[in-house]
Amino acid sequence: MMKYLIIGNSAAGINAADAIRMNDNKGNIKIISREKFRAYGRPLISYYLSGKVSPENMYYRSENYFKSKNIEVLLNVEAENIDLKNKEVATIGGGKIAYDKLLIATGSGPFIPHIKGLDMCKQENVFTFLTYEDAIKLKKKITKKSKVIVAGAGFIGLKAAEGLFGQVGSITVVDLADRVMASILDKQSADIVQTHMEQNNINFKLKTSVCEIYGKNNVSTVALSNNEILDCDILVIAVGVRPNIDIANTINLKTKDGIIVNEYMQTSKRDVYAAGDCVESLDLFSGDSKVFALWSSASNQGEVAGFNMASVEMKAPMVFAVNAISFFGLQLISAGVVNASTSNNIVLDLVKSELCRLNILNDNLVGFVLINCEQRAGIYTALISDRVKLSELDYDITSRDVGFSVYSKDERTKKYWEPCKR
Amino acid sequence: MKKVYAFETKCLGCGLCEVYCRTAHSKFKDVVKAHNRDNVISAIVIENIFRQSKPISYFVLQCRHCLSPRCVKACISGAMHKDEQGIVHNDKKRCVGCLSCVSVCPFGAIKKSRDCKTISKCDLCVGYGEPLCVKNCPNDAIKLLDENEVEVALK
Ligand SMILES: Cc1cc2nc3c(=O)[nH]c(=O)nc-3n(C[C@H](O)[C@H](O)[C@H](O)COP(=O)(O)OP(=O)(O)OC[C@H]3O[C@@H](n4cnc5c(N)ncnc54)[C@H](O)[C@@H]3O)c2cc1C
Repeated sequence: MMKYLIIGNSAAGINAADAIRMNDNKGNIKIISREKFRAYGRPLISYYLSGKVSPENMYYRSENYFKSKNIEVLLNVEAENIDLKNKEVATIGGGKIAYDKLLIATGSGPFIPHIKGLDMCKQENVFTFLTYEDAIKLKKKITKKSKVIVAGAGFIGLKAAEGLFGQVGSITVVDLADRVMASILDKQSADIVQTHMEQNNINFKLKTSVCEIYGKNNVSTVALSNNEILDCDILVIAVGVRPNIDIANTINLKTKDGIIVNEYMQTSKRDVYAAGDCVESLDLFSGDSKVFALWSSASNQGEVAGFNMASVEMKAPMVFAVNAISFFGLQLISAGVVNASTSNNIVLDLVKSELCRLNILNDNLVGFVLINCEQRAGIYTALISDRVKLSELDYDITSRDVGFSVYSKDERTKKYWEPCKR
Repeated sequence: MKKVYAFETKCLGCGLCEVYCRTAHSKFKDVVKAHNRDNVISAIVIENIFRQSKPISYFVLQCRHCLSPRCVKACISGAMHKDEQGIVHNDKKRCVGCLSCVSVCPFGAIKKSRDCKTISKCDLCVGYGEPLCVKNCPNDAIKLLDENEVEVALK
């Protein structure tokens, strides 16, 4: 009987376990997690913070799910190092777990920038925002009067800000970039999002950064690089994430920022696989290897790893970012290339805060941003991922709302009937 | 597994399937009340097929219950799931309306709900026996078929 061991109990790890079970109904599957909670939707932590999702709805799978699939989950267990020769993982506290196939699905952790005066161990009002526990601690600490500073206007920072709305005195988001979510939004789209958030009392200080903080056990003020000084009762650091590769380093896996894997999600060592936020993926457009922090790609890669671990060959697709996020009712979907010099087609209605921006390069759709007009966005996403030649479609996608009828009758019939035949 | 299939050449574009879809998913279970008093939206898309910018025919589209559904992989809450029979469901209690599923459905077959808090998708009318869209299509343009019947239909 095969022994499968998975480090990390989240999108990548669980989808891997599912895929293994689908292909091997006898094998022994173990997932270990250093968190104390059952697997939850990590992106839901801002919904927990705001109160929109109750604790019982945080969980990614039902309570008896793992039992029903005969998957063993060990919580509060942290992998410390790997013994490749004896095929064992040592856990903190002295435990040892044997494996035949190992998956590293350790995700990512917060990137902590160098800020003068910052001491995360001592300062009790400084938070990161990546785990359920982070959110629970933050929610306990805030009061109606708290002046909150969020360092970082990426989507994690903005989601933290939205989650705090209405529960604190003031919220100010600080970022060095000239716009919010700079990596996934062009300036015009970012301005719509920012304006909408400002209307909901979120303040922004852009093109500047937190450079020094004051207060020994509690931060009381922060200094920005533009010399402004701000009062601060709560500081949330959300400037980015870094792959968790400590465990990979114990066995000298090939890494760049993340762990390097091939298209079967195999690492540079035999019988060791890796998937999710902790790996480098190939970017669909540039072919470069990059770290993506995306739930869907973590799930996909986990599934692919699981298939291959169970000896059923499957290749991972190349990755491009697709993000669907809402802020205070403003619905946003962004995908692929949003900033490069492509030919743009933009339909904009500022009154309704609607925007549809299609980025076209040569004969391909390479990216889009949709704000409040996201119906059927997945068709655009498929045009990108399948690298469809726009000239072969039945109509010009910039001329009207896209539909499945954009494909020619033959193509449409094939796509429509095909997935069902398998 | 049986799924709903639409036949382009037969569709009149009448919209009755949408009416019955809303009814099936409304708390009222009554055509008129569902229409007047409930704000559920149908899980069906009716598309125009254009020729020289004029609509010349129609077809309906609903969730294809893909073998490896992208919507399920993208779902951040676990609301979207595939059951043992292969039917893709959305658990409204756990759905946060983030539209991650909408952003990846290659058919564009998932719609956001009117209040934007969740989504609407075909669940094959589990509990009704036959999906109401199939039952009420006046021209047999929508059918519930299994794999073998699909083979026959394609010939
Ligand atoms: C606030 C927030 C909002 C987000 N919103 C979105 C969104 O809307 N859409 C989207 O696509 N993505 C979103 N993301 C990103 C998404 O959550 C990640 O891409 C996804 O969680 C990656 O999954 P993973 O399985 O690779 O890793 P993770 O979810 O990071 O899980 C890895 C797990 O491994 C554990 N672990 C690490 N090392 C060890 C060890 N040595 N021993 C045992 N356990 C270990 C960790 O504690 C963790 O539980 C969001 C993230 C955050 C924080």
